[in-house]
Amino acid sequence: MWSRIISRLLTSLVVAWASVTATFLALHALPGRIQDILAGDVEYPGLREAIAAEWGLDQSLPMQYFEFLSRILRGDFGTSYVLRQPVIEVVGSQLLPTVELALTAGVLAIVIAGLIALLTAGRGRLSRELASFVELVFASTPVFWLGILLLMAFSFNLRWFPVSGAEGWSSLVLPAITLALPTAGLLTQVLREAMEKTLDQPFVTTVRSRGVGEFIIRWRHVLRHALLPAVTLGGWLIGGLLGGAVITEKVFGRPGLGTVTLGAVLTHDVPVVLTVVLLAAFIHVAASTVLDILYVLIDPRLRAQ
Amino acid sequence: MKKNNLLMGGVAIALLATSAANADDKPVSGGALRWGVTTEPACFDPHYASQQAAFFVARNYIDSLIAKKTDGTFAPWLATEWSISEDGKEYTYKLREDVVFHDGEKFDAAAVKANYDFVKKPENAVTAVSLLQAYDHAEVVSPYVIKLVLSTPDSSFLESTSNVKLGLISPKSLAKGDLCGGGRALAGTGPFVFENYTRGQSAVFARNVGYNWGPGNAAHSGPAYLDRVTFRFLPEYAVRTGALTSGQVDLIEGVQPTDAPLFAEQPGFKLLTGPSGASTSFTFNINYTRPPADDVRVRRALRDGFDLEPIVKQVYLGTVPRAWSIIGPANPAYNKALVGSWGNDIAGANKLLDEAGWTGRDSEGFRTKDGKRLSIEVGYPQPYVRDNRDILIQGVQAALRKNVGLDLNLRLITAGEYAKNNANGTWAIYPNTDNPSDPARELWDMLGSKGFLYSNIPNPDQEITSQIDESLRTTDPVRKRQLTDAIQKRGVDQAFIVPLFAPSWFLAAKSNVNGLGFEAGLDSPSSAYDFWIAKK
Repeated sequence: MWSRIISRLLTSLVVAWASVTATFLALHALPGRIQDILAGDVEYPGLREAIAAEWGLDQSLPMQYFEFLSRILRGDFGTSYVLRQPVIEVVGSQLLPTVELALTAGVLAIVIAGLIALLTAGRGRLSRELASFVELVFASTPVFWLGILLLMAFSFNLRWFPVSGAEGWSSLVLPAITLALPTAGLLTQVLREAMEKTLDQPFVTTVRSRGVGEFIIRWRHVLRHALLPAVTLGGWLIGGLLGGAVITEKVFGRPGLGTVTLGAVLTHDVPVVLTVVLLAAFIHVAASTVLDILYVLIDPRLRAQ
Repeated sequence: MKKNNLLMGGVAIALLATSAANADDKPVSGGALRWGVTTEPACFDPHYASQQAAFFVARNYIDSLIAKKTDGTFAPWLATEWSISEDGKEYTYKLREDVVFHDGEKFDAAAVKANYDFVKKPENAVTAVSLLQAYDHAEVVSPYVIKLVLSTPDSSFLESTSNVKLGLISPKSLAKGDLCGGGRALAGTGPFVFENYTRGQSAVFARNVGYNWGPGNAAHSGPAYLDRVTFRFLPEYAVRTGALTSGQVDLIEGVQPTDAPLFAEQPGFKLLTGPSGASTSFTFNINYTRPPADDVRVRRALRDGFDLEPIVKQVYLGTVPRAWSIIGPANPAYNKALVGSWGNDIAGANKLLDEAGWTGRDSEGFRTKDGKRLSIEVGYPQPYVRDNRDILIQGVQAALRKNVGLDLNLRLITAGEYAKNNANGTWAIYPNTDNPSDPARELWDMLGSKGFLYSNIPNPDQEITSQIDESLRTTDPVRKRQLTDAIQKRGVDQAFIVPLFAPSWFLAAKSNVNGLGFEAGLDSPSSAYDFWIAKK
């Protein structure tokens, strides 16, 4: 089991390194001078020279590459010339609201998906088809539109929740629901199908014959089996939540990585964009590593090997 | 005709009635205003900011030496009097003696000198340095008299000293360095103190209680009426509208044309339309040195080959007028003689292109010469695309294709690509509205030999660049006016520039928010200094 985990960790390191390399190559593949690209929309005398010095642009490409790698390792992500601040400060200060939003939405999505799947898997045709229809609608609704709809209903008309900001739990409700529903829609579909497959397994009949109640069967036995395919979706889930957070934050005027990223893209603040790209890659790598290790814990067969 | 008169009479009476009602309402102090805005400033320091949307926010905490009035003349502000020497090289300002920065520092001639020297110093790499090209040094004549000395006469300098970009910041703040993030560290002398900034969410300003030095173009003097102003950054049209209708903000900027009637007609709300084109129009700037647009016949065909009026009307639902000149209609320097002097002559445009030798046609119906398609690229940097301007260009594109077989190739480009095209002088058409400044300075910016478009192009048009240089040098206002008129005329006549529409700002507010207005020197909403909220 340990060798499995260690080799998984090593693979993750390689993937993280590859993503840094890809980012570097992408930057150099863009048309135009690197100085102009990194400067974004700012223009003042001396700026290009300052950037060239900071990024060591007078050196050879391999040297620049090693410099880039070592800076990332040291946690130095450069300067945002548009915002005139170190990138790490800009991104760092915005990380918490996004994590808060994504985490709340993630938990909400999992709870909704688990609940609906538990209640509807293998039940009457009508309730399943109804649930399946609703899930499909949510899974295919753009986050943007859903956010505006929720705002119209619960903020503009009923005035239960504020339209924007990140001040207390009430401003988190609508964005979290907006972000959770599409994710929950897909997750429920996967979870239910897996549960239905499991319900057909002979071991369920055995458990049932022992006189175990239906809920216990589903909760303790079937759900655990059905978790595997759902966990496989975990990496996608995190990507979806982060990507969705960008749009959700914009609609709700919430601070966070999404707002910073969008602003950076619009003002061509490339150092910030690069850092966000790298951060997203690292989060993906870390999440998929954790999930792969989770497999081992969920599925005893993997432990035995 | 008769009916029209009656109608007009009715409107006039209604207007009188409302103004009478307003006169009864005395402004009252107190209350907090929440203002939903489209753009979150990338930098709050006016010296470094470059976004139009940052300047009217900055006006709340930053004052200038003098204030620009809507008629183009100037009013006292931190300076009570000013004079310009015969040779146009020395500007002397007499300063108020009771002004204090938000950090408690005294405002005096030395503070003015510190600001101007800070902006001018190359190592500081200040954006506003473009306004100080002629500035050489400052002399502290006495504690409250400052003399700004230029190396060459600059007719735009007086206006520059009214510009928020050269607004005054406490020398103590300047010494601290990076002020882009705002907050209390950024100490000005303005009617509001910068309390705090939460990135991605809001910026909060509190009343400067001791403020007693309001600009001469304001409606009142003394401290601001509002206790507190909060800017909420709401980038979505629909969200701003909803936030206002549900009472979560009191005022919004950037109202979508389709939402305008919603606020104009609904009780409890009001809609304010700012002046159209108080600085420049939105224009096509054509690189007249680059084929095929180096041929004046091609440029004129592009200018006249479409009917602009219905396109502007369709995109903006009649909320903004089409443009006739480079300078906007609400700008005192607008050359009115250009109205009706050009455009929508499709037969003439086709004739010009025939004469220029673009007589072939390709399979898609575009004109060709020697097998080459008549195509000109509009390189529009993505970050500057806003309020449906790309859709307007697409309308022009479709009309030119249909009417004269010219391929106006709209391409959204990155800032990097734009910078490269600009450095190499290889741009073809650049769509632009200029930041507000003196008209001669604006014309210099877009058409001058050292402006941002033509500085990398060898041998730009001799006539127009020398007119521009003279308009900046002259100390005679009459001569300056003649020159800015002539420059606008030549720019449009030679079709160096094709004016498109005169943009304007829309504000929507709850009906109890009063004193709203627009500031000529910013070409945007004014600061919240004169705003007040009526008690219900």
